[in-house]
Order: sequence, then C-alpha cells, then structure tokens
Amino acid sequence: MSDGNKNFVLGVFDDEDVLLKAIAQVRQGGVKIHEVFSPFPVHGIDDVLGYKGSRLSIAAFIFGLLGTTLALTMQIGMMTVDWPMIVGGKDFLPFPTFIPVTFELTVLLGAFGMVGTFFVVSDLKPWAKPRIFDLRITDDKHIVAVDLDKNKMSEADIKKALADAGAQEVNNKQFD
Amino acid sequence: MHAEAVVRKPLVTGGKTVHDVTEDICIRVEQAPAKSWYAAMAVSLALLGYGTFCVFTLVWEGIGSWGLNKTVGWAWDITNFVWWVGIGHAGTLISAILLLFRQRWRMSINRAAEAMTIFAVICALQFPLLHMGRPWIGAIWALPLPNTYGSLWVNFNSPLLWDVFAISTYFSVSLVFWYIGLVPDFATIRDRATGISKKIYGALSLGWDGAAKTWSRYETVALVLAGLATPLVLSVHTIVSFDFATSVIPGWHTTIFPPYFVAGAIFSGFAMVLTLMIVTRHVYKLQDYITIEHISLMNIIIMVTGSIVGVAYITELFIAWYSGVEGEQYAFFNRALGPYWWAYASMMTCNVISPQLFWFKKIRTSIAATFVISIIVNIGMWFERFVIIVTSLHRDFLPSSWAMFYPTWVDIGVYIFTFGLFFTCFFAFAKFFPVINMAEVKSIIKATGEKKK
Amino acid sequence: MKETKKQYWKGLEELTKNPEFEKHADKEFPEYLPISGESEGTGASRRDFLKLMGFGVAAASLAACETPVRKAIPYLNKPVDVDPGVPNYYASSYVNGNEYCSVVVKTREGRPIKIDGNKLSTVSGGGTSSQAQASVLSLYDKERLQGPELGGKSVSWDELDAEVAKQLAGANRIALVSASVFSPSTLATIEALKAKYAGLELIEYDQVSFSGALAANEKSFGKRAIPSYDFSKADTIVSFDADFLGNWLNGALHSKQFAQTRRLNDKKKTMSRLYSFESNLSLTGSNADYRNAIKPSEQGAYIANLYNMLAAKVGAPAVSAPKVGDTAVLTKAANDLWSSKAKSLVVSGSNDENVQVLVNAINNLLGCYGTTIDLASAVNTRKGDDKAMVNFIKDLNAGNIDGVLFFNSNPVYDHALGAQIATGLKKAKFSLSTSDRKDETASLTSAIAPDNHFLESWNDFEPVTGKFSLSQPTISNLFNTRQAGQSFLVWSGSSESYFDFVKARWTAKADGDKQTYWDKTVQAGIVENTVEAEEVTFSADVAAAGSGIKSTASGVELVMYEKSAIGNGSQANNPWLQEMPDPITKAVWDNYLTISPKMAEELGLKLGDMTTQLVSLKVGNNEPIKVPAMVQPGQANGTVGLAVGYGRTSGGKVANGVGVNAYPLMDYKTGAQSKAVTTGVSVSLSGEEYRVAQTQTHHTYMGRENVIQESILSKYQKDPSAGRDFPMITTYSGKTKPGNVSLWSGHEYPNHHWGMTIDLNSCTGCGACTVSCQAENNVPVVGKEEVLNRREMTWLRIDRYYSSDAEEGDLKDMEIPSAENPEVTFQPMMCQQCNNAPCETVCPVAATNHSTEGLNQMAYNRCIGTRYCANNCPYKVRRFNWFKYHDNDQFPENTSMNNDLGKMVLNPDVTVRSRGVMEKCSFCVQRIQYGKLEAKKEGRRPVDGEITSACASACPSEAIVFGDLKDPKSRISQMLKLENGENGPEVKEERAYHVLEELAVKPNVWYFTKIRNKEEKEANA
Repeated sequence: MSDGNKNFVLGVFDDEDVLLKAIAQVRQGGVKIHEVFSPFPVHGIDDVLGYKGSRLSIAAFIFGLLGTTLALTMQIGMMTVDWPMIVGGKDFLPFPTFIPVTFELTVLLGAFGMVGTFFVVSDLKPWAKPRIFDLRITDDKHIVAVDLDKNKMSEADIKKALADAGAQEVNNKQFD
Repeated sequence: MHAEAVVRKPLVTGGKTVHDVTEDICIRVEQAPAKSWYAAMAVSLALLGYGTFCVFTLVWEGIGSWGLNKTVGWAWDITNFVWWVGIGHAGTLISAILLLFRQRWRMSINRAAEAMTIFAVICALQFPLLHMGRPWIGAIWALPLPNTYGSLWVNFNSPLLWDVFAISTYFSVSLVFWYIGLVPDFATIRDRATGISKKIYGALSLGWDGAAKTWSRYETVALVLAGLATPLVLSVHTIVSFDFATSVIPGWHTTIFPPYFVAGAIFSGFAMVLTLMIVTRHVYKLQDYITIEHISLMNIIIMVTGSIVGVAYITELFIAWYSGVEGEQYAFFNRALGPYWWAYASMMTCNVISPQLFWFKKIRTSIAATFVISIIVNIGMWFERFVIIVTSLHRDFLPSSWAMFYPTWVDIGVYIFTFGLFFTCFFAFAKFFPVINMAEVKSIIKATGEKKK
Repeated sequence: MKETKKQYWKGLEELTKNPEFEKHADKEFPEYLPISGESEGTGASRRDFLKLMGFGVAAASLAACETPVRKAIPYLNKPVDVDPGVPNYYASSYVNGNEYCSVVVKTREGRPIKIDGNKLSTVSGGGTSSQAQASVLSLYDKERLQGPELGGKSVSWDELDAEVAKQLAGANRIALVSASVFSPSTLATIEALKAKYAGLELIEYDQVSFSGALAANEKSFGKRAIPSYDFSKADTIVSFDADFLGNWLNGALHSKQFAQTRRLNDKKKTMSRLYSFESNLSLTGSNADYRNAIKPSEQGAYIANLYNMLAAKVGAPAVSAPKVGDTAVLTKAANDLWSSKAKSLVVSGSNDENVQVLVNAINNLLGCYGTTIDLASAVNTRKGDDKAMVNFIKDLNAGNIDGVLFFNSNPVYDHALGAQIATGLKKAKFSLSTSDRKDETASLTSAIAPDNHFLESWNDFEPVTGKFSLSQPTISNLFNTRQAGQSFLVWSGSSESYFDFVKARWTAKADGDKQTYWDKTVQAGIVENTVEAEEVTFSADVAAAGSGIKSTASGVELVMYEKSAIGNGSQANNPWLQEMPDPITKAVWDNYLTISPKMAEELGLKLGDMTTQLVSLKVGNNEPIKVPAMVQPGQANGTVGLAVGYGRTSGGKVANGVGVNAYPLMDYKTGAQSKAVTTGVSVSLSGEEYRVAQTQTHHTYMGRENVIQESILSKYQKDPSAGRDFPMITTYSGKTKPGNVSLWSGHEYPNHHWGMTIDLNSCTGCGACTVSCQAENNVPVVGKEEVLNRREMTWLRIDRYYSSDAEEGDLKDMEIPSAENPEVTFQPMMCQQCNNAPCETVCPVAATNHSTEGLNQMAYNRCIGTRYCANNCPYKVRRFNWFKYHDNDQFPENTSMNNDLGKMVLNPDVTVRSRGVMEKCSFCVQRIQYGKLEAKKEGRRPVDGEITSACASACPSEAIVFGDLKDPKSRISQMLKLENGENGPEVKEERAYHVLEELAVKPNVWYFTKIRNKEEKEANA
C-alpha cells in the first residue's frame, strides 16, 4: 500500500474506546483517514472506518471444495481405475474407506488456500518493507494516519480535528 | 456480548498496562537467558544425544533390537506415538475451540499450548517412521507417489495411511495457526530490536504494520482457521483410534474408540500444558498473566475429560461382558487380571481416580497439587495406550501364540529420544519466541484488567 | 574408424528383412521358447519372466558344476540332461545309521535341494520323517571332512589304502563295528573283506537296541528277526512304551498305516482304538484314545497281567504276574483285543527278552501273526546284538583286538559304554572310521576314510526282507570322500568300482535286457518282491518268561527316549532339526528332564515364562549331570524322561554343547541295553535358573470351540457334525451365518481357487511338514536366543493343546493342563489364505493383497515392515524379519544362508527375504506356478495331485490335502463335498470347519473335526 504519498499527519491514541469515537468524529469532520494502526485488533473499528467484511472465508470454502475433489479423484483413480486389486475381499471402489482422507485433504487445502490468499492480499512476505508510521503502534499506541495529499483540508484543520477528537499527540510524518 | 468478562475475576492481574505486557513478554526474548534455562537446555540436549544413539542402534541393527515378537508386533513404539499425538491435542483445541466459544482466558496460555502441540506432534511423528522395518523406503512409499513398480499405489483401505494424512494435515494446519498468531508479536519484537535480530524478526513478522484493514482480515482468518481446526482436532485422534477400531483383534475392535480416544487426548493434552505452564509461569514470573483462575479452569476440564475416559473404561468392560463373545470377554478379563494387571491398575488409578481430586477447590487451585496430578495423568495415559496395545495383542485368538512382551534398552532409549527432542524444542521456543500472545492479551487488558477507567 | 565399421546380421532373416524375423527382432527371446506365450488367464505371468531370466544364471552354474547325469535316470519322464530352471527328480534312499526312507530327490541345476517320499515304496509308505526331510542340508554341512586322514594329517586315498592294507594284514583280530547293515552289496563287500582278513568280524549295534526283542523272537519262533507290523489292519492297538508313531522302528510307515484306521467319512464310520501304556508322553501316547501313565518297571507286570486276562479267555495257563495298580483300562484293553481277535496288535518298546516273549505270546493268542504281524518280511534295520557289542568292548579293553573299523557308527558317543571304547581304542594297534566328520569316535581313530553322503552314493538296500531299494547320486562328490563300500572293495584287494559292483549284482538276477532292467530299477528306486507269509509256531516257555518279570520297583525311574527331530543324534549338526519344535514339549535347541507336575511341586521347582531350573540327575554311579527340568503333563509320576541325541562334543559347531548326552545313562546291568533305569536314580534341585526355548508356552485351548472342534466316535456315528460349533450373527432379519453379513459383494475367482484341508484325526503331530516347509521356502533358522524372544520364523507350526480339568468359565484354571492324563490335540497352523483377509486391508502400501486364485500373497520388495498385518492376523501366522538372517555372522546356526556351501540348499524359486519385511506361508505359490506352467506347455489344465504344497507332500499320514476348489473332480472338492449354493460354493462336509469362523474372514483352509474313539463318560472334550 505504499503509493507515492509522503506527508502524513498522525493522531496518537492509547485507548481503543476513545479511538473509535475519534475516528467517527474526524470522518464526520470530512477528514479522509488513510489508515488506522493498532497493536491489537480493536473491535468495531471496521464499521467506523466503513470497511466491508473480509471475503477470505469464501476463499477457504472454494479451496476446501478443491481439496474434496482432488482427494476423491486421487483415491478412485489409484484404487479403482489404475490398478484394481483385491484387498481384504473389498470392492474395487470401497467408498467408505475413502472418507477419512477426503476429509483431511478438504481441511488441508481449505486452510492453506485461505492463509495463502490472506498473505497475498495483505502483502505479507518475509522480504516486505513496511512503512512504520510510529514504532509504538506495535506496543501500546493507536495511530490514525491522515494523508495530506489526499485531503483538501488544510494541515492545521486536520490537526485540530484530531486533537479535538482526543488524540494525545498530533505529529507529522514524512516518508522520503 | 462479553458479559462474562464483567462477572468473572480479572484474567490479567497486577494492574498491568498494555505497555507492561510488551515489556514483560519481550524482555524474555531480549535478555540473556537465566542459568536455570542453560541447565534445563543442557539436560534436554543430553537426553537427545543418548536417544539419538539408541535410534541409530535401532535403524542399524533392525527392529529386533526392540522387545517385540511374533505375537506382539507393536508395543512401546505405537504406545508412544499415540501418547504424543494425544498430548498434541491441547494446543489447537485451546486456541480453536475456546476461540469459537469466545473463552478469553485461553489468550494467555494458547501460545505455549500451541507450541507444545507442534513439538508433541513432531515427537509423535518419529514413531510411525522408526517402527517401520525399512524406514528408508517406507517414508516415501507410504505416500501416494508414482514409483518404480509401475502403477502401484498406496492402499487407501489402510488406517495407517489415513494416519499419514490425518497427522500431516493436523501438523501443518496447527503450525500455520500458530504462526499466524505469532506474526503481530514478531512485529512488536522487531520494532524494539536492533541489528541482526531486527532483520530476523523483521522477516518473521512478514512486514506486519498493524493496519486496521489487515487486523480485520487477520481476525477472519483466525476465526475460519479455528472453524477448520476444530473438526480437525477431533478427527486426528478419531483416525488414530481407527488403527485399532477397524482391526479384528479383541480389545481393539471397538466402536467406542473414537470419542474415548479424543477425550483421552484432551485429558492428557491439558495435563501436559499445565505441567509446562506451571514451570514457565514460575521461571518467567508470569503469575499475573497465568493466574490461579486459569489453572483451576483447566483443572476442571481435566476432571471432566478424565471422567469421560473413566466412563469409557467401564463401558468397555460392560460391553465385553454383554457381547457374549468369548474372545472379547477374555481380552478384558486378561487386561484386568492377566499378567499385565499392574499396567491396567496403574491406568485406572492415574486416569480415573486422580483427576477426581479436582472436585475439591483446594486441590484445584493448588499449584503443587496440580503439578503432581498433571504428571500422574500423563503417566496414566501412557499406560492406557500400553494396555490397549500390548495386553490385547499378547493374548488374542489362538492360545498357542500367546506370548509376553519385555522391553529392551532400545525401546526405552527411543522414548527418551523423543523427550530430548520435545524439551529441546520447548526451551528454544521459550527463549526465542514470545511465550504469551501479546496482541491478544493487550486486547483484553482494558476489558478484564484491574486498571478500569 | 567409421569407414571400417563392419555390419553384422543376426542371420539371413535379418539380411533378407524376413517379416517373421522383424516381428521378434526386438525381443530378447524369440516366440517359440517353450515357456513363453500366454499363461492361463491373462498375460504372461511374472514367474514366466523369471524363468526366462533363470536361463542366464542357470547356464553359468551349469558350466561351473559337473552334474551327475552320467548314469542317473530321472524319476519322472524327463529328458536325461538337466534343464536350467527346471527341476529333475531322482529316486534314491535316505539311509543314516539304521534309519531308512525311500525318497525322491529334487535337484535344480544339479543341486539336490529337496527330499520327498517315494510314493511307490511300501517300506516307507511315501511319507518322510523330519530327519529324512532335513538330510539334504546335512549334505552341505561345512564340517564334513574334506578328504582321508591318517594320524590327523590329510593324505591321499592311495596313501591311506596302503596304510590300511598294511595294518589289516598285520592284525589277527579285526572288529568292524557298525550300525545294522542292510545293504546287500555292502554286506557282500564286507564278506570280501572277511575273505581277505580271516580275523575280521562284523559287530552290529543299534543306538536304541532291539536285541531283547530279537532274542525273544528267536526263542518264540526260532528266527532272530524283527517282524514288520501292519497297523492299518488293526482295530485295537495296545502299545507299551513303543512310540511307533515316533521313532520306534519305522514311524513314517506306521503313521500312514495308523492314519488309515483313523480316517472317517460317510463310507467308513469306524476307526481303530489305541491304548497306550507309557511313562513319557510320546507321540503315540498323545494320539492314543486311552492312555495310562505307568512306570517302566511296571511294564512287565502290566503285560503279564494282560496275558493272563487273555489266557483266561482261551483257557491257557496263567503266568505269575505281579499286581498292578489300576487294571480297569487294562481289562478294557483285553476285552477290545479279544473282540477284535486277529485284527489287533500289541507292541512293546521294552528291550527285555522276557517281556517281549510275553508280547509275542499275547499276539500269538490273538492270532495276529499272518494278519497284523508279518514275520516273513523281517525288518533288517534293527539287527544289533548288545551282547556281541559288550563283548567287543571287553576284548578291546583286554587288548585282544588289533584293528577296529568303525563304519556308519559313532559308538564312543552313542553307546552307553562309549567311554570304555575310547580308552580301549588306545590298546588297539590300528583304528579307522568311515565317519563323514571328525566325530567323537573318528577323532580318536588313527585313520579316517570319510564316507560319501547318501546323496553322493550308489547303493542298494534291503530294509525289509524281499523289499529292495536303490540309491543313486544326485550330485558328484563335494569333497574328496569315498563311499565306504568302495573302500571295503579296495581294501579287499578288488579294483572294481562300487557302482559296477552293485550294478553287476543286480543285473545278474535280471532276465531280458540287463541295461533296461537296471535303468527301470534305478528310475523307480525300488524293487519289491512279494514274500510268502510263512507258518509261524510259537514255541517259547511263557511261564518261564512270566517268572522272569521283575516285580515293580519303587523310587524315581529314568526313561530315555528319542525326539522325533534329533532322533539318535547322528544328524545333530543339522540346524533344521535342532530348531524343529519337539511335537510334545514344543521346545527347541535343548534336551531336558521331563518331570510330572506333581514331582515339580514336591521338588519346589520355580517356573517362569520359559524359565525353569537346572536339576542335578544322579544315575547309578555315573557322575551327576545338570539338566533343565521341563514340567510335562502326562508324565508318569515318579518317572523322569530324558532325550538321547544331544550333548555332542564333536558333532559340529551347531551340535556341540546343545543339551546333555544321555547315552551313558543307558542301563547295561543285564548285559542288554535298557533305555529305562529303574533303580538308583535321584533328582535334586540345583537352584540354578535356566531358560528352555519353546515355540508354544500356553498349552490349553481355553475351551475355545472356535479353535478346536472335537467329539467322540459314538456321537459322530449318530451325527457327522458332532463337536461342531456353529457361530451365528444376529441381524434385523434374525440369526444368520457370519459369512452372510458383509458390506461387500466379494470376488469370484475365474480360473483356479486353491484350498487345503487338514484332518485333525489323521495328523499325528510328527512335524515332518514343518521341516519340509522350511526346506522348500528358504525359511531361516534363528537360533535359541531368538526363539526365546518368540521370533521363530517357521511358516507352518503345529499347535499342540492339552485338555484341562478346570470347568468351563474358570479362565485362570483353564490355563493349567490336566496333570495326570491330558487329551492331546495337534493342529497344524499356517496362513489360512483368507478371502476376506484382515492383513490385506491394513497394509498401507498394498504389499500384501489377494490373487485371482484365492491366494493371499506377499510382495516382499514392496513391504515396508509396519507389522500391522501381523497384529491384525487372527491366526498369528505372519513372520517378521527382525534382523538380517542371511550373510550375517550373528546367526551362525542359520547355515543354509550364512556359508557358501550351505547356500547350495536354497530353493532358487523362492526369494531369500531381507531384513525388515514380513513373510508367511504362500501355499507354495512357486509349486503352483510351476505346475500350471508344465500343464500350459502341454496345453492342458493341471491335473489334481500334480500341484501340491510342500507340507502336504511330506505328510506321512496324508492329513494335509491341497488342491483346486474349482475342479469338482479334485480330491479336496470331493472331501469337502463342494456344491454351488446361492452365494458361491458351499461346503457340505459336516466335519469340515474354519478356525475362528465367526470372524468371517473366509479362509481357504478347512479343518476336519478331531474324533476320539472313547466312551461317552470318559470323553472330556
């Protein structure tokens, strides 16, 4: 998510409830919030920021379905089609014995597929170079980042709005 | 929606602030480890070393260096396998199921519990591999891969093959679940660290920046993973129990096994978590995070699962008698009164009687008592598997083949090997990883911490 | 270079691009090879391919070893030359000491690898003993002497002959000591020796002597000979310590005859009744319907009383007979004998002349001579004369004998007075042994002229008067050895080869073309002339004999016996025999003192899982010996048993130090050998712990009717399904057979369906089948330590169960066998080839699966060794390779896989299994494939009987029958009365049952219920 923008104003909060109110307030004040950074998940933040719910669960379902198909194709292909062998007097297509493996592969692909998707869409990778607005966001501070280039409002107004909303500090952040 | 948080005692005591959490946990990673840590690690490595020698002997000489024979084809190997897998159930269960049930008290224990799970499953995996007559090829041929015999594939009728899929799936999914949880905490360490460790933790944290959007996806992932992992946890030991339940041997051929095994697994898993947590809690001074409340809650689960297991034992006996099947009846007569009666007795005392002590609040909330019982429980669970495997095999259908099993030093050595492996991994984890899920604990500081605004 | 490269053609066809040739140009072998082409069913089978591959190997070995086809005629109608990959069969005769069996030898690429019975012979009845089966391994014994020796130094035969000639010429008294010689040609050569050296006399002795019986017969009928017995004609048999199903005289034949009287079917619903009065529990005793445990000292008294009972019936005068304890069974026996007059038989193993006279008298009263006893066809394998032997030993020690030749004998080891011989030999100027190894005797003689193994020899035999058999070499001499007969010829100054000598003697009698006669004779291996039964008149003084019976002694009595595996110990260096479980005790690699449970209690013997204690056994004024005690149900109280044939000191690496030597304990007080010592025996605890390796440590079948189903004759006659157990499964639609409830539709076998039946009534438990299986399937020997670890590898075992006195349900006491007189049941157990095999289902890599002919097959090289299949096998017949048993110094006992010579015995058609894989009975699939191949080459289906398993072919009593269930004419289909029901073929024979039928694993092996000829009340089945 690092597009060309360089100049940000950061509002620093340390209480999630204050934060939630604040976000709602500044947004009403017409401030476009670039992103909010927190040390831990804050419940209800999606709504005040107007984020839609994630669709990752759908990805999980699709991958799971893929797993089921794969498992059944593999087992029937190997046991019934490719080389049918008499094993314990069972039929060449002993469906009941296929269930455990089918279940496992469903879960496996479901889980891995979803996590993979998550890493991709959230751009999580070992060599990633994240833009850290403030080191304290992984400790105990919540940061509301406002992109000056994306806002028509003047820097001063934005700072005021944040301060009014209860930010402990209001800082500038420059990326070069 | 979290009404219980109000009525319940605080889950984090000592007036910790969010920043304190960061401090208390990260310091363990940043500081040089204590002498006690070095001592513990040394012992673990010694065990690992000796164990490795025994494993070498086993692979070099052949399975004959174990005490197995024509009648008893499995003994310590599969006993240990099932035992470790069972222990490996707690972590994912705590994180997944308790997450689904929104049990917030899980938050300060799930990290270590999951780590324990991962290591336990690694130990468990040693046995299916080592118990093979020809592990060097078995490791590959047990997988559905194309091979030099033309179109000769694996046999999907075999519960052992189901195990291969069940265990590997469970392991990899648990690993992912665990790692996802670690990412934000790695970020925390990264932002405090400098130099090389900054690089390492930076890579581990996958460039985590704590953005609200990511957090919301993150929570979805955690929730769905939990949803997937929950049936997985139940399926693993169910499928392990199929190894026995689908066979024809009296004492194995039992439909009660899946639930009975799962209950047993949770039982032993929680016990092992307690054993380790009590130590970690003490060494790392985490009394404020892992409170007596946590311990007594886990003790209650142990008591419940222990009772379930007890009921299963009694049901088995009843059904054996009720079935009217000669072989079945003898199998259970032989368990209780045969040459291995002592194993059955230890199992009964350790698994059925000892957890009942947790009815008393005094014992439930006593660290010492909990520690002792948690160990007793796992001894009992080892005997349970031994009883199921050995006493069923050593006297089955044809009396002409009845035989006794005596372990050799290699049997014991390979078991020691897995202990060495387990504790080496766990102590390494305790040093280099945040032993408590900081992000999650932080999220409940305000809601359930003492320092109310 | 390129330019100068020449072009070669495989032949004109290629040059002319002949289309027929082009078609096969790429194939390694052209189409018209006899063994290629479509196998029955679909496609050429893997084994066909192996056969082709065999060509290369075989060709090499052909070039290497010269095969003895020079004068040999194959037994079957096969070309004379050796066909690579195709076995040749030669008729021959197994002779070792005084043991005899007419055999057929299977050779591959000129190597004898398997021995089976010669079905044409009426002397051994087509069966084999375990010793005969194992003897092929003795051929490849590395410890055989490599050539003649003189004073411990190896010399050339010429040097030896010169020395022998010199020594014999100088000697005025020469003794030729030998086991009973029954080879006419050899006897002739000995005559020739006598002719040359007047002072030479032949002294015959038998390890277990019959001289008492011989003397008795001389007294009774004026003929010093052992008659041949025909148990098949006897309805009532009474045996006094004569283990005629074991090593007494001719076990293989007797087993066959006895089994004939025990077989039951719709046409024949009667069977013989066997009474046994004995001290140790023997094979005979364990197959008896009524068994009495008596002390050896009581035997005479019992026989005398029996005589009196019968005499009373004819009104003959009674003899003086000491009282005996329990006469109930004896009276019953007497009545049965009388009611089946002339179709009855009384035998005794005693070597006491008086006892044997009484036995003759009894048989005479019953008119058995001419019916069940044939004195005319005398058994020549037991002619030894104890007195002559004892005198020889006296003379030897007196220094009256200058030269001693030991032929086919090892008296220093196996004669009670062996020690005296050892000392006496020093006094003799010259001594020589023809032993094949430096045994206890040969190591003391000044010269050794090593004899051939019988598989390297030409010879002829007359085991029974008028019944001849030949032996022909199946391989050229492995070492620089020379047949004893040849040596005798040379020493008697003849230059003739022993082969010509034998042939000449035979063709002399021949009318018509001599060569043809000779070829035919060699091919058949036997010539049997009918001997006119002569009129016998009994002329012994019964009263005198009666008064000669000693009154019963008190105190502990020792009874020595021969184990069916080790026998007299001459083959003690054969690991197959050492590891063959004793039929009764199931112990291997040891002999031990069998004591009654009561005595064990009195001694305070502490017993554990295969652990016992050494007791010290003091006999007369012999040094006390330490020997492990083995508690033996059925052992007569106050008696102890000890097997001979162990405690070799120079028998070879395998034999040496195994067990203790019992021969010195044999009683010679009367001048005649007695294998029972009735006085001066004492047993005391030594306190030392000892472990005896047993393959079975649990001795009762816990009253499990799904394992052993037995009944008694009277019930069977009323209802053929007597004793059967019919498990039923309860379903929503009522009770039904277990086999009818299934998730699966099952599989139809299109072509063949191999099956096996085992008649528990015919099986005597002798164990010949187990050795046969071991030889056929390259089953490794693992040694005592590994048997102690319960890891014996035998694919086929014989489960032996004792009855228990505990009442049903008392699970603890049911483990304890009845101490006094347990009923014994033998159950051969091998892979049941289940059609719904539990082992197949659980193998993760499908290494074991089912063939389209109903075989449960193992792919060794696919097996990864999880052992799950073995755990899930209800019959516990799967065997795991715990270690590498081949080419591994840790297993020196396994000679057939650990030394280059021993390896020659391996069956090239069967893989030698590697470490870490599972193995089990394959129904001898290699034999099946071979049989199918032979049939295919002749464009026909296999005929019933031409394909059979190694165990079935070895079984002397024909208890095991193998065949194709798809062939309605086959013997097995007939026995099972196969009929087509709504769900597949159904077995209508009511005696046939599956072990563990309730599991519905549908085995292809059926057992026939065990029926005992007992009265209702005594039967505690």
